Amino acid sequence: MTKKQTIKRKVKEPEPTNEESVSEQSDNEENEDLLQAVKDPGEDTTDDEGIDQEYQSDSSEDLEFESDEEGNYLGRRGNKAEEGKDADDDEGEDEDEDEDEEDDEEDDDSDDDSEDSDANDASATPKDDQPSSSKAADAQTKAEPIIEIIPRDPSKPEYEESDTSDEEDIRNTVGNIPMHWYDEYKHIGYDWDAKKIVKPPKGDQIDDFLRKIEDPNFWRTVKDPLTGQEVLLTDEDIALIKRINSSRIPNPEHNEYAPWIEWFTSEVEKMPIKNVPDHKRSFLPSVSEKKKVSRMVHALKMGWMKTTEEVEREKQQKRGPKFYMLWETDTGREHMRRIHDPVSAPKRDLPGHAESYNPPPEYLFDEKETKEWLKLKDEPHKRKLHFMPQKFKSLRAVPAYSRYLRERFLRCLDLYLCPRAKRVKLNIDAEYLIPKLPSPRDLQPFPTVESLVYRGHTDLVRSVSVEPKGEYLVSGSDDKTVKIWEIATGRCIRTIETNDVVRCVAWCPNAKLSIIAVATGSRLLLINPKVGDKLIIKKTDDLLAESPSQDIIENERIKTAVQWSNADPDEQEKGVRVVITHFKPIRQVTWHGRGDYLATVMPEGANRSALIHQLSKRRSQIPFSKSKGLIQCVLFHPVKPCFFVATQHNIRIYDLVKQELIKKLLTNSKWISGMSIHPKGDNLLVSTYDKKMLWFDLDLSTKPYQTMRLHRNAVRSVAFHLRYPLFASGSDDQAVIVSHGMVYNDLLQNPLIVPLKKLQTHEKRDEFGVLDVNWHPVQPWVFSTGADCTIRLYT
Amino acid sequence: MSILENGQVSALRKTSEHFSFCSQVPKAKPKHRIETHVCGNMEVENGEGQVQVHLKTKQEHYAVPDVPYAIEGSVSTTELNIFLNALLQSKGAEGVDFDFLVFDEYLRGRLCDHLREKAISFEDAIDIEYVERFPAPEPQDCLLHDDWVSAVKASGKWILTGCYDNTINIWTYKGKHKLTIPGHTAPIKAVDWISLDDENGRFVSTSQDQTAMMWQWNIASNAVECVSVCKGHERGVDSVCVSPDAQRFATGSWDTMLKIWSAELEDAGDSTAKRAKESGVRTPRMTLQGHRESISAVQWMDCNTLLTSSWDHTLKVWDLNLEGIKTEISTNKSIFDASYSKLNNLIVTASADKNLRLYDARTNQGSVVRNTYLGHNAWVQTVMWSNTEEFLFVSGAYDNQNKLWDCRSPKAPLYDLLGHGEKVLDIDWSNPKYIVSGGADNTVRVFKSSKATVENMETK
Repeated sequence: MTKKQTIKRKVKEPEPTNEESVSEQSDNEENEDLLQAVKDPGEDTTDDEGIDQEYQSDSSEDLEFESDEEGNYLGRRGNKAEEGKDADDDEGEDEDEDEDEEDDEEDDDSDDDSEDSDANDASATPKDDQPSSSKAADAQTKAEPIIEIIPRDPSKPEYEESDTSDEEDIRNTVGNIPMHWYDEYKHIGYDWDAKKIVKPPKGDQIDDFLRKIEDPNFWRTVKDPLTGQEVLLTDEDIALIKRINSSRIPNPEHNEYAPWIEWFTSEVEKMPIKNVPDHKRSFLPSVSEKKKVSRMVHALKMGWMKTTEEVEREKQQKRGPKFYMLWETDTGREHMRRIHDPVSAPKRDLPGHAESYNPPPEYLFDEKETKEWLKLKDEPHKRKLHFMPQKFKSLRAVPAYSRYLRERFLRCLDLYLCPRAKRVKLNIDAEYLIPKLPSPRDLQPFPTVESLVYRGHTDLVRSVSVEPKGEYLVSGSDDKTVKIWEIATGRCIRTIETNDVVRCVAWCPNAKLSIIAVATGSRLLLINPKVGDKLIIKKTDDLLAESPSQDIIENERIKTAVQWSNADPDEQEKGVRVVITHFKPIRQVTWHGRGDYLATVMPEGANRSALIHQLSKRRSQIPFSKSKGLIQCVLFHPVKPCFFVATQHNIRIYDLVKQELIKKLLTNSKWISGMSIHPKGDNLLVSTYDKKMLWFDLDLSTKPYQTMRLHRNAVRSVAFHLRYPLFASGSDDQAVIVSHGMVYNDLLQNPLIVPLKKLQTHEKRDEFGVLDVNWHPVQPWVFSTGADCTIRLYT
Repeated sequence: MSILENGQVSALRKTSEHFSFCSQVPKAKPKHRIETHVCGNMEVENGEGQVQVHLKTKQEHYAVPDVPYAIEGSVSTTELNIFLNALLQSKGAEGVDFDFLVFDEYLRGRLCDHLREKAISFEDAIDIEYVERFPAPEPQDCLLHDDWVSAVKASGKWILTGCYDNTINIWTYKGKHKLTIPGHTAPIKAVDWISLDDENGRFVSTSQDQTAMMWQWNIASNAVECVSVCKGHERGVDSVCVSPDAQRFATGSWDTMLKIWSAELEDAGDSTAKRAKESGVRTPRMTLQGHRESISAVQWMDCNTLLTSSWDHTLKVWDLNLEGIKTEISTNKSIFDASYSKLNNLIVTASADKNLRLYDARTNQGSVVRNTYLGHNAWVQTVMWSNTEEFLFVSGAYDNQNKLWDCRSPKAPLYDLLGHGEKVLDIDWSNPKYIVSGGADNTVRVFKSSKATVENMETK
C-alpha cells in the first residue's frame, strides 16, 4: 500500500503535459513499448503484493512507537524499494493502471496530493506546480496551507521547508491502513470534515479499453490509491522513472563527474608550517590508566603484588640454605611485639563475695585458713586471697583504710622528690668560652727568630745572665768555665776557668757595680768581668779589695757554713775578687735588686740550705733555723724586703724585716724547678718539672692564677722581661716559649697571658733541652742556654 | 682598544719571524681583530699572552725609538735583553746587559707575574725603563788578619781596618799590608779617614776601650803617630764619622752619648785643655744626649747635620747648630746600622730581623717605611750607600754574605757577594771602585766593582 502511495505522491498532474502529449505522439509508441515491457510480467504479482503488505504492516507496527521522522524514512525506503522493483517487474505499474480507471474523477483531489508530493520530489519543477496549485485552491480550501507551500527553488535543498510526514497528503484521514479494506465500500475514506470520500465511478473493461484507445495520455495516467483518482504523470516524472529504471541517478542535473575540488591537498609538505613541538599540556594523561597504575603501586607497596625480581629472590631463598639471625631477630621481634601486640595487663577479677563488708559466713576464714594465710606472710603471692575477709554488721562499721596515711605520704614523697623541671640544655659553643686573646701580631715586639748562636762551651751550659746595660752576657757551663760574650757580635770576650762545674751565674743587677756571682761547686766566686765602663770596673775592684772590719761575731752555725775570703793571686788574675766557700755545693745564686745582697741555695744543706750574703759587710746570714723542705730556689722581691723560698712543692714568702712568714703559695705540683718575679713584684711565675708553669697573682690568692701546660717536658726555667710584658720559659723539650704576660696597674683587671711564639732550635742532648732562659734587660730579646753547649739569642 | 690590540698582536705573531716573542704593532690591521682577540685575552690571563710596552731609558746613547711593542707576558729579563740588544744593533752598541724597571721596580722573573703582583692591568701600555745593568763586582782580594775585622774604611788606594786584636791595619787595594798599629786596649769598633793625600793620611779609630784615637800617618816613611786620644765616653765607642769638611768627627757610643770632636791637628777650640793637649788627650766639643740606648751608627748628612741610629729603635737627625734633635724617626726594631745617601736623601737601615728598611730623611714625623728589602737570612749588621750610584747600596749580614742592592728591587738583591766564611761585621763602599768588607773570619774581602767607575772616577 505504501508503495502505491509513494508512487502516487510522485505522480504529477497530467494537464501540464497535455500540450506536449501531441508533440510527443511519436514518442508514445516508444513509451508504450517501454511500459509494456514493464507491465508484462505484472500479472501474477498479487502474491508479492501481499507479502509486501505484510512486510509493510510489520514495519509500520515497528514504527508506531518510533518517531514520525522514522516513518518518513521508512516511507522513503519503501519508495526506493519500489524503484528497485520497477526495474525488475511492473507490479506497481500494473496496479496503478488498475486504479487509474477508478480515480479519474478524483483527479482534482489528487492534485493536492501530487502537489504535496511535488514539494517532496526532487524532480518537480515550478512550472508544473503553478497550475496545479491554482486548481487545488479552487477545489479545496482546506488544503490551503499545504498548497501555500512555496514552489521549491531547485537551487535550495529539497527538504528545506519541511520533511516531516505530518505534512503528507492527508486529505484522506484513514491513515496508513491497507486500502483494500475499503474495497467493499463506496467510499475510500474520510476527509477532514469527516465526510466520506466517495470512490470515483469505476468504468468497466470496455471503458478502460476505450480510454486506452482515445486518451493519448492513458499510458501516463496512474491512480491515486488514497483518493482513487487518476493522476497524470508529467514528463519529468516519466524521465525520473526512466532514469530510475535504467538505474541512473534520478536527478539529471546531478553531475556524476563534477570537477574535483581539492579541499585537502594531496601534496605532502616537506617542512611543517609550524614545527613547535606539542606542548605537554596537549597530552592528556589517561585517567583510567592512572587509576590502574596507582592501584598497582599500592599493591606493590602493601606487598600484595610482587615484582618478578622479588618473586625470583623468594624462590632463590626457598631453594638456598637458610640463615637465622640468632640474636638480633629475637630481640627485634620482641621489641616490635611490644609495640604491635602488647600483652595487656592482667585483668583483675571482679570483686567476689569475700570482698563484701558483710560476706556470707562460708567466705569467712576459719581458724585453719587464717593460720594458713598468716603462714604465707613472706610469700603473699601464694595466698589464695590477698586479704582476709572480714565481716561487719553494717557499712558504717567498716573502719578507715589502715594504710591510707602511709600511702598518701609515699605519694607525696614521690611527687616531692621527682624532678619536675625540664632540664634545659645550654647550647654553648666551646669556642665562645675560650677567652678572646689578642692576636700575637698586635703584641709585638717579641722574639721571633734565632739571631745568634754563641758557641764556645764544651759542655752543657747551665746558666746565663745579662749585663744590666745589655752589652755583655755571662754564661756558666759544666765545662767548668765562665764565658763573657759580646751580645751584638757573638764574640767571646773572656773565658774564666774555675775548679768545678758552674751551676749558676748571676750578673749584679746594679749597673754601678761590675760583678758576676758564679756558683761553682761549693764556692761562690765574685768576679769582676772587666767589661764596660772602666771607671766602674776600677771602683768595683777597689770595693772588693778591702775587707771591712768584722764587728759582729758570727755564730758557729754560720761560721761552719760559710767562709769569706779574697781570691788568691791566680784567681785575681782571672778577675775573681772574692770567694765565698760554702759547706755544700751551691745550686743557685741570686742577687737582690740593689746589688748588695745575694742569696745562695745549697739543696743538701738541710736547715742551712739557704743563705743570704751581704757584700758590703762580707757577712752571711742563715735566715731559717728549720728547713721546711728541700729548698729548690730562692728569690728576692724586687721592691719589698721579701724573700721567696721554693721548696719542692710550695713557695713560702718571708718578710726579711719582720722575720716572719707572709704567705705560703700552694703550687700543687711535684717539683718546682725555678721561679721568676714580675718586676712590679705582684706576680710570680713558677716552673715545675711536671711540665707546668704557674702564674701566681700574689694579691689574688695563694693558688695559681693560671696554670700553663705549654711544654711537653719538664720546664727548667722561666724569666720575666724587665720592661716588656713578656716572659719566656725553657724546657727539656728544647723549646723556648715566649708569652705575653701583661700586668695591669688597674687592680681589678687580671693579668693577660698570651702564648706567642715557640722557639725550638736547641738540640737535644741526654734528655736535656733548654736549661736556662734570660731576657735582655732592654731589648725584647731572649737568651737561652742548652745542653747542646750553645747559648742562643732570639730577636 | 687594547683588547683589540692584543687580538691583532696574536694574529700577527704568526707572521713575525724576527723574534718569536715580540712583534711591533702596526697602526692599522683591522682584518683579524674580531676572530683573534678572544684568544689573545685569555692568553694574557694565563701569563702567556702579550702586553704592550714602551721601552724607555735615561741613558740616551742606548735610546730606541719610542714605539709600542707587543711582547709576551711571560718574558723575563734575559729575553728582553736579547730583544733590546737586537734593536740596538743598528746603533753599534752590542753585548750590553740591561735591567728593566717596570713601575719603578726591577723586573725579576716573568713580566706577567710582576704586573699581577703590582695589580697593573695587562691592557694598559706599560712603560719599561731599561738601564744598563750594573756589572757584577768581582772578588779581588782577601786580606788576612789575626782576629775579627770589625771596621773597614777605604779611601784612595788605602784600606783602613780595625781589628778585634786591638790593632788598626792599613792595606793597599793590591792586598799589600802596609802597617799594623797597636794602641787601643780593646777591640776596635770603627775607623774613618779624616784626610788623605799623597804624603800624609789622617784617620780616627774608636774602640771598646771607650776612646777614640786620631792618628797621623806618614805614607812615605810609613810611620804612624797618635795625634790625640779622645776620652769622654763611658762605654765602648761603636761608631765614628768624620764630617765632610774634615773639621770634626762624631762618635756614638754604648753610653748612649753622641760626641762631636775636633778633627784638627791642633785643637784650638778648647783653651782650658792645655794640659790635656800636652798629653794628647782631647775632650769632646759637644756632647749630645738623646738616645736611650747604644748608638750604633753615626753619619754626617752635611756639615751641620748628623744622622744617628740606635738600638732604642730610633733614627735621629741632629742639628749641631741647635745642638739638638732635628727629626726623629721611630721604628720598631733595633737598628744596627744606618746609611744616608746624599744622592737621593734616603736612609737605609739594618736590623736583626733580616730586613733592610728604607726611610726618607725628609719626612718630619712618622715612621713610614718606604721599602723593605728582604734577602738576608740573618741579623744584618752593616749597610752602606754607594757614593756615586743613586740607587745602589751594599749590606753585610751574619749569614756570611754581602749583598749589593738596588733600592728599586726590594725582592732580591742585584748581587750576592760571597766569600766570607763567617759573620760580616762591617762593609764599606767609600771608594766607588771597591766594595770592602770585614768579617769574623778574620779577613777583609775586596770586591772590585768594575764599571763604576771608570767614568765616575774620571768625573771626580
